[in-house]
Amino acid sequence: MNNLSMALKNLKNNFSFYALYLLSVSFVITVFFAFTSFSMNTVMLEKISGDGRVETMCSVISVFLMAFVVFYMSYSNRFFLRRRTKELGVYALLGYRKTTVLSLLTTENFLICFGAFIVGILLGSVFHKGIVFGITKLLDLSINNSEIPFFNINAIVKTACFIFAIVIVLVLSNSMFLFKTPLMGLVRFEKRAEQKMKFHAVPAIIGFCSIIFGYILALDILRGVKSVWFTIGFSPIAMLTLVLIVLGTILFIASFLPFVVQTGKNNKRKFYTETKIITSPNFIYRMRSNSKTLIMLTLLSAATLTVSSTMALTLYYPIASVSRIAPSEIECRIEDESEINAIKEIVGKHSSEKDVTFVETNIYKVTSSSEQLPMEYSIGNAKGDSDNEKILRNAGFECIPYSDYISLLEAQGRNKVFGQISKPHDSECILVKYQPASDNDETGNVYPLLIGNEEIPVTVTATTLDNPISFANSVGTLIVSDNLYHTIAESLSPETKVLSINGQSIEDNEALFLDLSNYLNNSPYLQGNSHRIHELFSLNSSTFLLIGFLVILFFIATGSILYFNNISAVTDSKADYEILRKMGYTNKKIKKIIKKQTITFFSIPFLLGLVDCIFATLIYKSALMQNILENSFMLYVPVLIAIMLTLVIYTIYYGMTVHTCCKTVLKR
Amino acid sequence: MAALLKVNEVTKIYAKGQHPSLNKVSFNVAESEFIAIMGASGSGKTTLLNVLSTIDTPTSGSIIINGVNLKQLSDTGAADFRRDNLGFIFQEYFLLDSLTIRENISVPLTLQKLPPKKIEKMVRSLAERFGIASQLDKYPNELSGGQRQRASAARAIVKQPSILFADEPTGALDSSSATELLKTLKEANEELHTTILMVTHDAYAASFANRILIFKDGRIIQELLKQDTDRRTFYGAIARQVAKLDTER
Repeated sequence: MNNLSMALKNLKNNFSFYALYLLSVSFVITVFFAFTSFSMNTVMLEKISGDGRVETMCSVISVFLMAFVVFYMSYSNRFFLRRRTKELGVYALLGYRKTTVLSLLTTENFLICFGAFIVGILLGSVFHKGIVFGITKLLDLSINNSEIPFFNINAIVKTACFIFAIVIVLVLSNSMFLFKTPLMGLVRFEKRAEQKMKFHAVPAIIGFCSIIFGYILALDILRGVKSVWFTIGFSPIAMLTLVLIVLGTILFIASFLPFVVQTGKNNKRKFYTETKIITSPNFIYRMRSNSKTLIMLTLLSAATLTVSSTMALTLYYPIASVSRIAPSEIECRIEDESEINAIKEIVGKHSSEKDVTFVETNIYKVTSSSEQLPMEYSIGNAKGDSDNEKILRNAGFECIPYSDYISLLEAQGRNKVFGQISKPHDSECILVKYQPASDNDETGNVYPLLIGNEEIPVTVTATTLDNPISFANSVGTLIVSDNLYHTIAESLSPETKVLSINGQSIEDNEALFLDLSNYLNNSPYLQGNSHRIHELFSLNSSTFLLIGFLVILFFIATGSILYFNNISAVTDSKADYEILRKMGYTNKKIKKIIKKQTITFFSIPFLLGLVDCIFATLIYKSALMQNILENSFMLYVPVLIAIMLTLVIYTIYYGMTVHTCCKTVLKR
Repeated sequence: MAALLKVNEVTKIYAKGQHPSLNKVSFNVAESEFIAIMGASGSGKTTLLNVLSTIDTPTSGSIIINGVNLKQLSDTGAADFRRDNLGFIFQEYFLLDSLTIRENISVPLTLQKLPPKKIEKMVRSLAERFGIASQLDKYPNELSGGQRQRASAARAIVKQPSILFADEPTGALDSSSATELLKTLKEANEELHTTILMVTHDAYAASFANRILIFKDGRIIQELLKQDTDRRTFYGAIARQVAKLDTER
């Protein structure tokens, strides 16, 4: 019998065992091929990346992707090698040379990789086409689909070379194992006794404390400017937190959990139950050789969850912020009265509907002599303050009348806000905040406003985050009574006039925005709600897509490793379950034990990863994202969706694992 | 003495047209009896043990243990019956590798939901009787073959089963470990009144029993009784009988 027929026979006989391996490798290659096709799709890249940003990102992610595929394939290969060590030992005993055994393994690996390559190219091409179609629709791009071939030859060549390189890596790894292990070692590999686990309180306590201290440090960021993240610096504290959590996770899994389970065995009442007496010692037993895998999976899960959560937050937060950055469908500054008619004419060309409203607002800049002025008063008056330095402003309050405020909210369809703010009296005002008030709420503050030669004090009766005008056109907005506004208008000339255009019929009309932009000479003061959302999608979608590739690969790898690990543990202990049956354990009880054993190994990476992700997201949200929205549950919905998706994927893998384990054990 | 196990006309055929593995086998086992089943490979010993222990079902005939007809047991009922009435010792020990010896012996008692204090007391007392008290906190792979088999025997006896099934218990042991184990089983039989049904092909091991059933081609072809003879004499009688059967093959 030659190597090829032996390899084929082995794959055929162990089809169910290899099926998931082939499937998971096929998925991995599918994702890799789709990614490679996308990164080599010049037609698409030209459209979505003008400055080479996407290309750079593709190269960076490609390195991660390749490293990850190599890691996953090596892990799976080692796993299958371990399972077959005894069989390989028997071949050697029969007189097969180690080189022959190695070539048998290589043939099998080659067959699996070849199968995965074919499936990967077919599915990957479909996947790639789907991505192109999705992005084209999402960003409304004009792309001739016939220019994009179904099979990208360059991507096929790159994938084939990469798979060939993987096979070489696997051959090297297998030959190292085969030539290093003596014949007796091969035959008795499975019987090799595991080292007895030692339980030390010190590393267990250090692990627990380290992880808790890491979380406390992360929480400290909520103290704002007083926290160590600001007083000492973001980078050193971030590094310290990372080290504490990684070290904590390692010791927590390798020492703390076994220590707790071992100590828990002293609670005799709980321990001497039909399930616990099997599952607790089994957990400790498996931890002897599996703690490294579990640590790696936990860190991988934490990274996957954090990346997907922050990605969801990064996508959602700017879109949620658009309601503040550009509250009107279209808004611009009017430098000359004649512009108003011209703009109305342009709008008229795009919509003949009567639902379009035009609200003109004269904004008056008023200074104040108060020593305790809000940060909005002077925001953006220095270089570096503003996102767009073309829009530098002079310090001061920008006053608008209450009646205009109401008209604007009405036009923007934000009727809910009316009831929340009462009409100010002549000596009162409402301050529009840029960021949500943290510890210094200005309500009750009195600001003397300098109007002509007179100083008129006004008391802040409320602050609001519902700004009616975009931040490009007004910051430090003060809503004053109509009477006070008239007084101001009599003594000062307006700083700016803003035209806000709203109406359902002009929503999501990029052509209109483009016409207006051309007319206003690309004015930075032209702002549009739908336009901004569109801009965000086109800026971010490729980033999310590319990171999405990585996240999908992480999920496949984590799930598959957990699957293989549990199947392996259960198959190795098949005889143990048979003993339990003979002792009187029913199939139901054995299933319960299998479920408990499996869920422990699934829940450790998921739960620890989840906690890590929650704290990492907290840091990301507090320190790295500009906060202009009020903290509400809605903001965390995308994070929850990301976590729920992860949970669903884990649950599917858990279900598959339990099903296969029960089938393996209960099969007579 | 009352019959604890009644085997009546039990037949087991694995596939149609095949020679029966058990062919209308009938015998009784009394309480506190130590009985050995002997025979060459393929004579039906293991099949008998499997059907007696509810792991397999006979094609026809009835088996009654402690007044319970095994045929009438459902899957769950059979599991409960094994939990409450049967003990097992195997040639390969079959200890649970992930559990310490103490935990291994405790498993059958936790299944019976006994209070922890009682479990610990029973485990300790039996471990002392079996000479493995100092090994209780060790894992199976830290023990010698003989110690492992004694632990396995302790696990089988600790729940005081109605009947203990031993399948070639000395098969993997050296002669002194085998003698140690057999003596311990004999003691359990005499002092704790444990009923034992042992399958063996070894005449020496069988000589510790009080009665021998010799199987051939799925039938009992001979019964030997120890009666008042000493173990050595009984051993001689068994050895002669086995040699005679061998020459007749």
